[in-house]
Amino acid sequence: MEGLERHVRSWFASEKPAEIEHVISALSSGECTLLDIVKTLGEYLTSEEDILRTKGVQFLSLVIEGCPKEKLNRQAVHVLVTFYRTKLDDTETITPALKGLSHLVRSPALGSSDIPDLFNAMFTHVKMRVLVQSTRFFVFDTIDTLLKTHPDDLKAMGDQFVAGYAALASGEKDPRNLTVAFAIARVILTEFDISKHVEDYFDITFCYFPITFRPPPNDPYGISADDLKSSLFFWVVLKLGFGIFQPVDAAIEEAALDTLQAFVRVLQSNPVVADEGRADDMDDFVRTVCVDCLDAFGEPEKPQARAGMKILCSFLSIAQNLSSYAIAQAAEKLVTIFHDPMEVSNRASVIVLLTDLLNSLAPPENLPTPDKPVVTTSGSIPSSQDLLTSSKDAVLGLLIVGLKTPSTRVPSLHGLAALIRVPSAVTKDELGYIVLEVGEFVGKEPNDAEDTTSDVLSLLSSIAVVAPQHVATQVLPPLFLALPDRPPPRDAHPQRAAYWHALSALSQLCTQPELFETFVIRLTTKLDLLCSPLPSASTNPPPADILDAEEMEPAAAYAHAILTALGNTLSAKVSKSRPDADVPKYINTLLPRLFRLCLEAAVSKEQQVFADMRLLRVVARIIGLVVEASPTASQSNFFGDLVSAYLDGKAGTSTRQRNTVVLYAAAHVPMRRDVYQISLSRRLADLVTWCSSDSCTASQREAASHILASLVNKRADDIGDFLKYQLDDYWSKVVYNHTVSASDRRNAVALWVSIARALLVRSHPSAMAFTDKLFILIDEGDEVGREAAHALGTLAIKDEVLAKRNHAILKVLYAQRYLDVVLPRILEAVQNVTGSRREAAYLVALASVLNAVPKTLYLPQMTKLMPLLIRGLNLDDPTLRVDIINILTDTVDAASDEKSSLTSYASTLVLEMLKNSMVTDMPDPRVRSGALKYLALLPGVIRYDVLHPYKAQVLKELGKVLDDPRRAVRKEAVDARYKYTG
Amino acid sequence: MNGEVFNANPTIYTKSKRSLRKSPFETGQSLWVDDIEQQDWSDTSDAEPIDQDEVFDLIRSIADPEHPNSLEELRVVSPEQIDIGSNVITVEFTPTVPHCGMSTLIGLSIRVRLMRCLPPRFKVDIRVKPGSHQSELAVNKQLNDKERVAAALENQALVETLEKCLATAGSQE
Repeated sequence: MEGLERHVRSWFASEKPAEIEHVISALSSGECTLLDIVKTLGEYLTSEEDILRTKGVQFLSLVIEGCPKEKLNRQAVHVLVTFYRTKLDDTETITPALKGLSHLVRSPALGSSDIPDLFNAMFTHVKMRVLVQSTRFFVFDTIDTLLKTHPDDLKAMGDQFVAGYAALASGEKDPRNLTVAFAIARVILTEFDISKHVEDYFDITFCYFPITFRPPPNDPYGISADDLKSSLFFWVVLKLGFGIFQPVDAAIEEAALDTLQAFVRVLQSNPVVADEGRADDMDDFVRTVCVDCLDAFGEPEKPQARAGMKILCSFLSIAQNLSSYAIAQAAEKLVTIFHDPMEVSNRASVIVLLTDLLNSLAPPENLPTPDKPVVTTSGSIPSSQDLLTSSKDAVLGLLIVGLKTPSTRVPSLHGLAALIRVPSAVTKDELGYIVLEVGEFVGKEPNDAEDTTSDVLSLLSSIAVVAPQHVATQVLPPLFLALPDRPPPRDAHPQRAAYWHALSALSQLCTQPELFETFVIRLTTKLDLLCSPLPSASTNPPPADILDAEEMEPAAAYAHAILTALGNTLSAKVSKSRPDADVPKYINTLLPRLFRLCLEAAVSKEQQVFADMRLLRVVARIIGLVVEASPTASQSNFFGDLVSAYLDGKAGTSTRQRNTVVLYAAAHVPMRRDVYQISLSRRLADLVTWCSSDSCTASQREAASHILASLVNKRADDIGDFLKYQLDDYWSKVVYNHTVSASDRRNAVALWVSIARALLVRSHPSAMAFTDKLFILIDEGDEVGREAAHALGTLAIKDEVLAKRNHAILKVLYAQRYLDVVLPRILEAVQNVTGSRREAAYLVALASVLNAVPKTLYLPQMTKLMPLLIRGLNLDDPTLRVDIINILTDTVDAASDEKSSLTSYASTLVLEMLKNSMVTDMPDPRVRSGALKYLALLPGVIRYDVLHPYKAQVLKELGKVLDDPRRAVRKEAVDARYKYTG
Repeated sequence: MNGEVFNANPTIYTKSKRSLRKSPFETGQSLWVDDIEQQDWSDTSDAEPIDQDEVFDLIRSIADPEHPNSLEELRVVSPEQIDIGSNVITVEFTPTVPHCGMSTLIGLSIRVRLMRCLPPRFKVDIRVKPGSHQSELAVNKQLNDKERVAAALENQALVETLEKCLATAGSQE
């Protein structure tokens, strides 16, 4: 008891929560009882001083809040409820009393007999208007709890409760309370007999419509307008159950339409309304709304019309009969308006409205197979095509008319796209008609129909899926005709633009299998024609030689354009979530043909179109895409032929023949893991040797490294010999052999890295052996060491070759594991090395590794890394500086959290970046641009007073950068300068 | 600023694409369709002189003082109306209505934007399009008189309005 008194006294003095906790724990452990507490509080609870009384009740409420439920027996609850009831008429104690009540009513020991008295007191004494939001919340909370726990007692109170609550809730404005209030009203309206108080409830709910509540920024309660709207279901019931719907006030029509939409959304999400008993009311309601919507269409350019259309469309699924009638009406009305000469200026809006309507009739986009009858979408719109039968011809005609004028063309195209999606609305013949009309715009010069080209093409390609023959007969022939047999001469730019226009249109239209086949055949024919000798060359041979080289580039460029178009279509077909099934067959037709063209050109003595490297690259892309889509069996066949063609045939030595390795590599990159390959180890070793030839160009070496990476990654377990050879012989003879020239060794490091990376991404045990060797090189600190240091970063970068779609083996978190091993080693080395060259090499390694991994992996160590990075900024290596600036830029947000770290470097950073942004000091534009970007970030993260001393200097120096020779750098300078002027 | 709106209902044009630059294929310089001008960072010698499009990029997104639209959307400025000499830039702009009282403010905002964003070696001349404004001469004189521009920039209220117009400048949308 003494302890209790002490706690109470000290709480009254300090209001520390700890005191309450002590009391509660004493209560739970049985050291004292509720009675003791009330006794101790006695003098306070009845005190004449307002403050003491308030605090007394507050103390009690806080104890009840924390008190374990089992300590509150029936008797205690009864006494406490009675006590609180009497405190409600006291303005000083009402807040804590309501708070106590809201906790007390949760107790299971609350007796039914207490409830009527409690509500009587509440309805008599609680004046909501004078209470603050949090207190009002306790009232709603209490009622909400009781509705859940004692609904029958409340029902027994009858009118008294219903009327009393209506009075309490009226005038509530705070959204936090409203969400509870709406929930309560919903229960009351559905479960209680409110026939005498319908008007009251209409008043306390209707006045909140429309809900335009916008949550304040940083709202701690996280209430959104949708929360409010969804708790408004009761409103719907109200309307339907009692038929007191009034036509919406004209003055707030637009807002009301918004409300109606909310309502419809709720209707859709609550199946309760489908209840038979209410069907008639519902029909009434829907009829009224439909009439309103139809009225709104009278002015199609107004936003109400679109809102009305949305409502009408959303009714389609809930009240079919009526709304389908209304939709037919709407379509008719819109058609009439469209043809009204007075409304010509509104034609675009009419078409937009019709498009909305058609879209609602069409099944959702994500459902495939528009050609099958859609019965699965639910039985709600089985007769959607019937809705249109009466007006379909008129609508179709209207959309076609809309195509003729530029202002309505785009909406009409969208409308047509919606129309063809409506199941079985359009017959095949009508599709043909649409294709005929729309096809006109395909061949148009892009200048006068610039905006429509993409819409036209997407409409036509969606038609092509359903009815390819129409597109094939009407649209494609003129486009194929636009492709010349012979390349346009060098100065004929318009012809070139024309063939590219035709090619890109074709490439978009021909994804459908049948069309794609035609497309492939036509284009490969063109390619063959391009390779055949020029007709002019045979007639008058002498000038042919001179012309030939001149003629070659346009021809190659034309072939390149054709192949690019082909590649784009293939890419679209393969990149779908479900790749088209017809692609794999081209591994046996298209690919051999392309290989033949390229290889013949490579072995030919004369200059050939297909010897151009740019052409080889785009052919390589096509090969990659087709192989990627092919199954293992056909890949195996293909590789069997390919390998024998390349390895068993005459090993080409000319640059042109060596260049075709690009094609070989493209086929290997997407190879499946289980494609059988013989004696891999030896072949890989040969490949490495092949790369060390003096005549090997950079692109050949890159292609070879792709083959290495792909094969090593997929077959690492079968090529133990090769890995061993690399680690022992190759390492000692080439990579770590100082008698070999530096450039050869650097190339060797590049190959080394592609092997190491292939092992690393699949977390192969040998990966670390390869990485360890790189450290040996870095320790040298020479040119090769630098290369190895950069390579450490390259190991962790994502690339295109070792990707999921290329069937590579990737383990999760490999980058993290890699960093965990490598970073401590680098950090240790940087701190220990003394030689400046070795230090530099390690800084390069650090920067390139950090730049390659996600920043979250190293952020915690940023304070340790910062001095090293700044040290690296002084080194001459531009790539290193770019890496460091990128790291700094990436981490600038995170660094600002612990502002101090960045702030202490502010002066160094600003001055370094300024130095790096001057063209006179830093010739590499990447560094300049990066430095300026970083400079622009600093004012956002560093306190103004820290940066202020540099403001004048920065502005002055950046004034010079405005005259940088590179455009991109100037743009960054403008942005950075703007950041510092503010 | 006296509350009068000079052109209450201007025609708003669509913005052109962010970059007006065409690829070499489109301009006919290259035969190859995918020969897009890659930012060839490695080549340090290559200079790209300031041209019409770049100056236009600097001023296109300035906000109109009267409307929530950019100067580009109202066709007040266009790349064709910019002329670049060796160290002289002439920017011509077209007020939306001939009695537009905001012309000087628009001109001044263009001048301030270019002052901040172009190297100081350039002399910038700003004019209204001949025949597009009733007091063309007065506006031109006012905009190109550096004393008067300096004086205008001392006026706190004016500078505030100006900064409002320039706040959107350079935004990417």
